[in-house]
Amino acid sequence: MTSLSKTARPRRNNRIRVQQSTLVAILSFLAFIGLFPYLFMVLTSLKNNQQIVDSYWGLPIPAHFENYVAAWDQTKNYFITTFIVVSATVIAVLLLGLLSGFLFARFSFLGRNFLFTVVGLLLMVPSIAALIPLFVLSKDLNMLNTIWVLIIPSIAANLILAVILFRNFIDSIQQELFDAAQVFGATNTQIFRYIVTPLSFPIIGTVSLLTMINVYNDFFWPLLTVTDDNLRTVAIGIQFFQGQNATDYGGLMAGYTLASVPLLLLFAFLSKYFLAGISGGLATPDK
Amino acid sequence: MRFNSQRKIRRFRPIIYLGLLPLFSILVLFAYYPAINGLSKSFYEWKFFEASPFIGFNNYRNMLADDVWWEAFGHISLVLLAGVTIMWLLPLLAVEMLISLKNQRIQFVLRTALLFPLAFPIIVTIYLWGFIYNPNQGVLNVALNQLGLASLAQNWLGDPKTALWALIFINFPWIAGLPFFVFLTGLQNIGTEIFEAAALDGASRLKRFFLIDLPLLKKQFRLLFILAVINILQFGITAQALTEGGPDNATMFPIIRILNVAFRGGDWGYAAALSTTLFVITFLISTFIFLVSRGEKNNDKSL
Repeated sequence: MTSLSKTARPRRNNRIRVQQSTLVAILSFLAFIGLFPYLFMVLTSLKNNQQIVDSYWGLPIPAHFENYVAAWDQTKNYFITTFIVVSATVIAVLLLGLLSGFLFARFSFLGRNFLFTVVGLLLMVPSIAALIPLFVLSKDLNMLNTIWVLIIPSIAANLILAVILFRNFIDSIQQELFDAAQVFGATNTQIFRYIVTPLSFPIIGTVSLLTMINVYNDFFWPLLTVTDDNLRTVAIGIQFFQGQNATDYGGLMAGYTLASVPLLLLFAFLSKYFLAGISGGLATPDK
Repeated sequence: MRFNSQRKIRRFRPIIYLGLLPLFSILVLFAYYPAINGLSKSFYEWKFFEASPFIGFNNYRNMLADDVWWEAFGHISLVLLAGVTIMWLLPLLAVEMLISLKNQRIQFVLRTALLFPLAFPIIVTIYLWGFIYNPNQGVLNVALNQLGLASLAQNWLGDPKTALWALIFINFPWIAGLPFFVFLTGLQNIGTEIFEAAALDGASRLKRFFLIDLPLLKKQFRLLFILAVINILQFGITAQALTEGGPDNATMFPIIRILNVAFRGGDWGYAAALSTTLFVITFLISTFIFLVSRGEKNNDKSL
C-alpha cells in the first residue's frame, strides 16, 4: 500500500478499533478474575446458608445484614487491639525515624557511617530467621500475652527501613535552607520542628502507610506470642473466628469483609504514598 | 562558624549520640541481640529453666539427616521457580496490553482494577482462596459440578497430589502484585521515541516485545528476582493458615518446620540451627545475585 486511498483509511481505523476493543475485553476479563473472590465475598456475606445452596452465584435477596452484626460482635476486640498496636507502632516509628534520619543526614559525628551501616545491615536479616530467639527473649522479659509484645518488636522491625528512607529524604533537602535558618538564629530543635518535619511530609506518608500495612498483615509474630483472645490482632483473630464459624459461610464472609475495611480505607486515602513507597523501597537496595 | 561545622567537621557530640540512643537501644535489644543469640544458641541444646549444654555441631548434623526439612526446601524451590516464571508471565502480558491502549482514561481504570486486590489484607485473600478450594461448598468444585465436570472435582487442599499447586495458584492470575508494577514503570520509563521508531521501521508488536521490551526490562527482572528470593519466606503464611504443612507434609515449608520443632517438639536449639541455616542460604543467594548484577552493570557502562 503506497498511499492511503479514501477507503483504506476507515478500514485501517476500523482495524485499530477492533484491536483496541479486544485488548480492553481481555484486560477487563483478567481484572474480573482477580476481583472475583472479593465480589463473591461481599455477595455471600449477605446470604444465609439456605441462600448459598439455592442461589450460589446469585444476588443476596433478601440481604441478611445480621451476618455483619454477628461478625462484628465476635471480632470487635480484634479491631481495637489492632488499632492500638498500629497507632503506637506508627507514632514511635515516625518520631524515632524522623529524629534519627535528621541526625544521620545533617550532622557530622564520629562513627556516623559505621552506625548507619549497623542499621542498614539489618535489612538483610529476614524477620523469620530471628523469630525463635526473639520469642525466647520476649518470654524472658515476661512480655508474652501483653500488648507490649505486639508493639515493641514491630517498632524495631519497621524502624529499620524508616530510618533509611528518612535519612535519604532529609539528606536531599537543600543545604541553603538550613544555612538561612541558622543565619536567622534558629536552634537545631527549631530547624527540626519548623523545617525538617513539614518538608518531610510526603515521606512521612509513605513510611506511615508501609508500617500500617506491615503491622496489619503481620501473621506469625502475633500468632506465636498472644493467646489471650482480647489481645488477638485482626490477622490472627480472623483465624480463630474462622474456626468458630467453620460452616456458617455467610457469617465468615461478613467477617472477612469487615477485616478488609481498614486497609481499603487506608489505600483509598493514601494510595499515592503507596506508589511512592514502592519506588522508594525499590531504590534503596539498588544503591 | 556554626553552619560550616554542621556538615564538614567530624567530632564527638554527646547530644547527637543521646538523640540516637532510643533507636539503637531498640535495635540492639530486639534485632541484633536475637539474631546473634540465635546464631550462638544453635550450638547448644537450648532448654528453658534448665542447663543448656553446649553440643557443638550436633544440631547441624541432625539437620543433614532431617528429611522433612529438605522436603520443605524442595517445596520452597518449586514455589520460587513458579514465582519467577508463570507468576511473571501474565503480569508481563497484561502490562504489554495495557500500554498498547490509546485511551488514557480506560488505561487508568483498568490499571486500578487490575491492582485493586492488593488493597485487601493478605490473610483475607488466603482464607477466600481456602473457601474457593473447599471440597463441598467451594467455588471451584461447585463450578465444575455445574459444568458437568464433576469427575474433575477434588479435595484440592486435602490431597497431597494437588495441595502444593493449589497453594501456588492462590491469587491467580497473579497480576495484582509487585511484578506488574515494576514491569509497568519499567516500560513506561523507556520513553515513547523508541517505540515510535520501531513502529516506523515496521516492527510488528510481537517483534517489538521480543527485540525491544524484553531486553530493556533486564534490570527489572534482576531486581524482581532478588525480591522473590527474599519474599519467598513469606509464602509460609499461606501454608500455615490453610494446611499447616499437611496433608502428609505435602505443603511443608522451612518456616513451618522451624515452628513445629520449637513449639511442638520443644527443641529450641535445633530450631535456632534451622533458622540460622535459612538466614545463611537467603543471604548467600541474594549476595550472589547482587554481585552478579553489579558486574553486569559495570559492563553496561564500559560499553
